[in-house]
Formats: sequence, C-alpha cells, structure tokens
Amino acid sequence: MEHTGSMKVPDGKLVTVTATYGDTIESVTITGDFFLEPPAAREKLERVIEGRPTAVSKPELVDAIETVDAELIGFSAADLAEAVREAIDR
Amino acid sequence: MSEPGATPDENWRIIDGGVHDEPTHHALDDVLIDRLDDGEMAPTIRFWYRTGPAVPIGRFQAYADEVADEYVRDHDIDVVRRITGGGAMYAEPGAVITYSIYLPRAAVADDIERSYERLNRWAIDALRDLGLAAVHEPLNDIAHEDGKIGGAAQLRRSNAVLHHVTMSYALDIEAMLRTLRIGEEKLSDKAVTSAEKRVTRIADYVTEDREAVIDRLKDEFRATYGGEEGSLTDDELTTAKRRAETTFRTDEWNKRL
Repeated sequence: MEHTGSMKVPDGKLVTVTATYGDTIESVTITGDFFLEPPAAREKLERVIEGRPTAVSKPELVDAIETVDAELIGFSAADLAEAVREAIDR
Repeated sequence: MSEPGATPDENWRIIDGGVHDEPTHHALDDVLIDRLDDGEMAPTIRFWYRTGPAVPIGRFQAYADEVADEYVRDHDIDVVRRITGGGAMYAEPGAVITYSIYLPRAAVADDIERSYERLNRWAIDALRDLGLAAVHEPLNDIAHEDGKIGGAAQLRRSNAVLHHVTMSYALDIEAMLRTLRIGEEKLSDKAVTSAEKRVTRIADYVTEDREAVIDRLKDEFRATYGGEEGSLTDDELTTAKRRAETTFRTDEWNKRL
C-alpha cells in the first residue's frame, strides 16, 4: 500500500510523508516547505524510518529520527513522526 | 557588542544588474555560496532580474503538489527547484524584488530563528522608511498586517550562509493562484501550504516605482553593512551558466521530488 500523511505544524511548516508499506514500512519520501540543515539529511531521515514494523509507535519513531545528525527547522521530530503515523494509519 | 550580521567590517560587493533566466539565477546562488564557503569571494548581495515568469520551489517540495503543471507548460513558466528549503512562490519580471545575500557564517547568528530576524531587519527598515508598515514574522516572512509581503530562505555551509528573499512588488495575484496549486480548491484542511497566506504587494502601499524601492533597499543595506557596487566576474557567470545546464535546467533536479 502507498499512502500519504501530512502534518501542518501550527505557525510552522508542512511536512508530508508518502509511505509504501505492508507489515513493515518499505519506503518513505519526506516532502514539504520545511527547512533542514544539512539538506542531505532528508534522505537519512527517510532511511531510519524505513524497515520498521508498521505497528511502530510514535515514541520509537521520534527516537529513530533523533539519531540523525540534522537541524530540523520549522518542524520537530514529533511532527515528522506524526506524519509517518498518519501515512501508515490510513 | 555589535550584533552578528550587522557589522560593516567586510568588503561587501553589491550587484544590481544582469538579466538572467531562472535556472541561471539558481545556479548563481549555488556557485557564489560555494565560492564564499571556499574563501574565494567577498561577501556579496545580488539583486535578481528575470527574463520571464517563474516558480522557484523549495528544495524539499514535491513538484506535483505545488505547481499547476498544465498551466505552467501552457504559459512557459520556468519552474526551478531552489537550493534552499521553504515554499513555492510565483515571480514575474518587474513585479517582484528578489535578492540573494552571501555572507560569512561567522557573521550570522547560530540560532536560525534569530538569524532570519537579523538578516531581514535592514530590508524591513527600508520598507518602513518608504511608509510601508512591514514586520518580521517568524520564521522567515516579511509581513504587513494585511498579509505576507515576502519570504526569506537560507542555506548554511561550513563557512558561508545564503539568505535570499523574494518580495511582491506588484505581483499578478490571479496568475499566481493559477500557477501554484494553492489556488485550487483545498482537498482538505491538511492540504494547505504556508504560501496560502494572503499576499500583500508593496505597490499597494508605496508610490515609489520598483527601481526606487530597490535603490532604497540598497541604501539601507549599504548603511548597515557597507559595500561597493560591483558586478559578477566572467568566471562566476560562465561557471553558473554551465551549472544551470547540468543541474538547474534539468528535470532530474527540478522534478526530483
């Protein structure tokens, strides 16, 4: 299945996650009008989310996201985790 | 103590001239931030002059989510992915004011929210001087109580920061809404983007023409940072034109997301 989930951060940016998944999250694409330094961290964030079970909890996702050395600007790890959950809950 | 980013202690180059197409402008941003990062260039501010209507989209945005593809093709609108994050905007020659500031990282506050505020301040002062009650609206907008005037976006390198801004001078709002998918009926509340905020245009409040507004901006910039008028070197432009061909004119870059 492929689904998209979005999180509009209040007074912040839009973070959209498109995920393909079965029992595990197979692939993830993160898009939106956010800022991220360094820009190459976007792919790293995608890779740490991929491969996790579809039943992954939001706190586990936040922990995984926070292992990536990046500055998230206009959104938080929790916002991104929320967008992931929304994509795979649909 | 002086504020970072507001000290006129660098030998600034002010480039106000040179009409280029959209891919070349983005390539210039990429080349000049590289040169400054490598210590091969003085800090520079460059005003953009475009050849046609364009949509600069944010580095991380999905092309299909932002751009009304058929309208853009029918109207020869150049869509180019920026090297900075942030949102899509619509730009027309003569109707917007765009500039890029390339400055040493040491002159920029580490706190990103604060650095946007600091680097927008001189421009806001210039607009206020012209009688437009502009304010900085975090994270990255220049606003008026009636709506958004413009937006900034930054990219940070080890030794350099790019801070570029586009403001609406007299943008055709209807064309903007046809070009960007924010003009389409919202699919859901979650489908909104940051660009949805109402756009306010400088010319609705200020009688000076665009050239005079740019002159006022340059004066305020010079008063804040110093600097001399200059131009691009042949090498900078040649390198940028090459990079426009290999990157900023390709679907591989512009439609990569």
